[in-house]
Amino acid sequence: MMCDPLQSLFDDPVKFLAPWFVLVPALVLLASAAAAAVMRNLIHAALCLTLSFIALGIVFIALGAEFVGLVQLLVSVGAVAMVIVFAILLTRPDQLEQSRTALAGLRPAGGAAAAFALLATLLGFIFASPLAGKPLPAAAAAPVAKIGEALMGDHVVALIVTGVLLTAALVGAAVLAMEDRP
Amino acid sequence: MSGLLESAPLALMAWFLGLLGAFGVPAWALEAISALISIGAVIGVFLGLFALASVMERKILARVQNRLGPNRVGPCGLLQPVADGIKMITKEDLVPRGADRVVHFLAPVVMMVPALLVLAILPYGRGMVPAELDAGILFFFAVGAGTEVAVFMAGWGSNNKYSILGAMRAIAQLISYEIPLVMAGVTAAMIAGSLMPSAIVAAQGGFAFGFIPQWFVLTPWGFTAGLIFFIGALAESNRSPFDLPEGESELVAGHLTEYSGFKYATFFMAEYVGMFAICGMLVTLFFGGWQAPLPFLTIVPSWAWFFGKVCAVAFTMIWVRATLPRLRIDHLLAFAWKFLLPMSFAAFFSAACWHFAGRGWAAWLLSLVVVAVPYLAFGSHFSSRFSTSRRTYRFSE
Amino acid sequence: MTLQILLAISAALFALGLAAVLSRSNAVMILIGIELMLGAANLNFIAFWRFSDNPADLTGILFAIFSIAVAAAEAAVGLAIIILAHRNLRSVEADDASQLKG
Repeated sequence: MMCDPLQSLFDDPVKFLAPWFVLVPALVLLASAAAAAVMRNLIHAALCLTLSFIALGIVFIALGAEFVGLVQLLVSVGAVAMVIVFAILLTRPDQLEQSRTALAGLRPAGGAAAAFALLATLLGFIFASPLAGKPLPAAAAAPVAKIGEALMGDHVVALIVTGVLLTAALVGAAVLAMEDRP
Repeated sequence: MSGLLESAPLALMAWFLGLLGAFGVPAWALEAISALISIGAVIGVFLGLFALASVMERKILARVQNRLGPNRVGPCGLLQPVADGIKMITKEDLVPRGADRVVHFLAPVVMMVPALLVLAILPYGRGMVPAELDAGILFFFAVGAGTEVAVFMAGWGSNNKYSILGAMRAIAQLISYEIPLVMAGVTAAMIAGSLMPSAIVAAQGGFAFGFIPQWFVLTPWGFTAGLIFFIGALAESNRSPFDLPEGESELVAGHLTEYSGFKYATFFMAEYVGMFAICGMLVTLFFGGWQAPLPFLTIVPSWAWFFGKVCAVAFTMIWVRATLPRLRIDHLLAFAWKFLLPMSFAAFFSAACWHFAGRGWAAWLLSLVVVAVPYLAFGSHFSSRFSTSRRTYRFSE
Repeated sequence: MTLQILLAISAALFALGLAAVLSRSNAVMILIGIELMLGAANLNFIAFWRFSDNPADLTGILFAIFSIAVAAAEAAVGLAIIILAHRNLRSVEADDASQLKG
């Protein structure tokens, strides 16, 4: 009846509000991503990107993948966002707002149209798929010990290759950005 | 008696919640209230520690420098934080013209939130962790990365050349010292076999030969990793000798130049709370957390041991500030990348050798050698660049 | 909270990243768009892991971890290239790097 949803709210509000623990950060994520894509001021766009990374990490934690969420916070917020901010500071023109980064010409309309077309296609497929109508299973646990065992056991090759890749990226980025000594 | 003191905080909370439950409060509300009580208690204790630290730091620095510290307000000057608080709150809040108002306003908030959040995972006593996370150590470092964002926002939002330059130097320092810090923390987590802080404390329990505590800091690799963690902690809290970002004789006050009044007080508070949080993490990882150092000293409650050790580490940090001069930015970064990072890898490798050689006396010897050789190699490379012989002066002789 | 809602959110995030890549001319903004697209793909992996019948199979989580690491490496190298381009071309507009244009 009418008071049934409210009754379940009073019985166990934590369980009732559980979907909102995922949806609220997801909405913040989409809003800040939209702001980052549209903003004219580069630093503001980078800060909105940082906020969207934080929101994405919180969504991961709320979905039960705590390790991935914390890795996202540590790597994307602590490293990637800072590197982007440094790159903006080191390459900026004299006036940050008056630069030609302003959306000009047909390009923004074309980009938005392409993105909208892609979104419409994807949503069509998502909502028509039989696979996607599943209810939420019981909370899945991903203990850190199991992730560690999987990384060092079945996936150790991928782990080592990622390590080599990161070392190569580190050395490459340092060599690229180094100034030529006379 | 000691058992009573030991379980007093938890027993008090359980009694209060039982009382509420008897009044018919539903189970979910009891959980929420218990969480709120833990949060309130932790924040209350740490803000009290912040107030005490702000006056004790000035008094300790003063005594080291052969003068008295603040001694006017209250007995021995202990009510000085009250006077400081009133001063900070009543100061005019200036925002520079042309500054980015939103970013300038949010920077202290973004600085304070990570400092308070990381207090949730520290084990304050036997069974007294506010939030038992499976990946607690990772949570500590992930949330600590938020500090860098706050420093940048403070520097850039002030529309001041000195601020932005100070912020860039501060971020370079923070990210350089974060890597040896994380490697040292990972070393302790590797030997304990878990990322949960309470499991790491439990792995340091027990006494070897009946009276020597099995803390990680008393092993060769643990001593090195603990020292690296301590140095990294000094750098992450922007404390001397790594306080170039906020030294007054350098870039005015660096990224904090344009902040006054309550916003500056928030930054100040965030720095001290962050300092205590990272001291707490050092104690948890290397000094045995809430474990007592000798078997007969277990009559002292576990939470008293934890806070005693944290205060001892904080005293050491203040002592280091009073004693060592400030490092220049290029020396600072060279020290992090060319000395601390290889030493942290050496400590990590040494811990692995210690574990796989069976943890016997041969393993201790092997781990000592694996740590001492890189230290002597890198140390001699560094010290050869600075001559330590008696200075000769060109003109004044 | 169904799988469709999570997939729709990640599709929207991907579309926003794509819009940023296609419509902005500053190279750093293009990189921001690429990071958003990578984040959307990670969200997809975690959503499918959460709704899978066998959550003990941690493949989705491991893929997301590796994807975050590779995204960080790619952002670092991309930004080094942007700084180098700025040093030589004095500009970070993607349109200005047109010396190979026919």
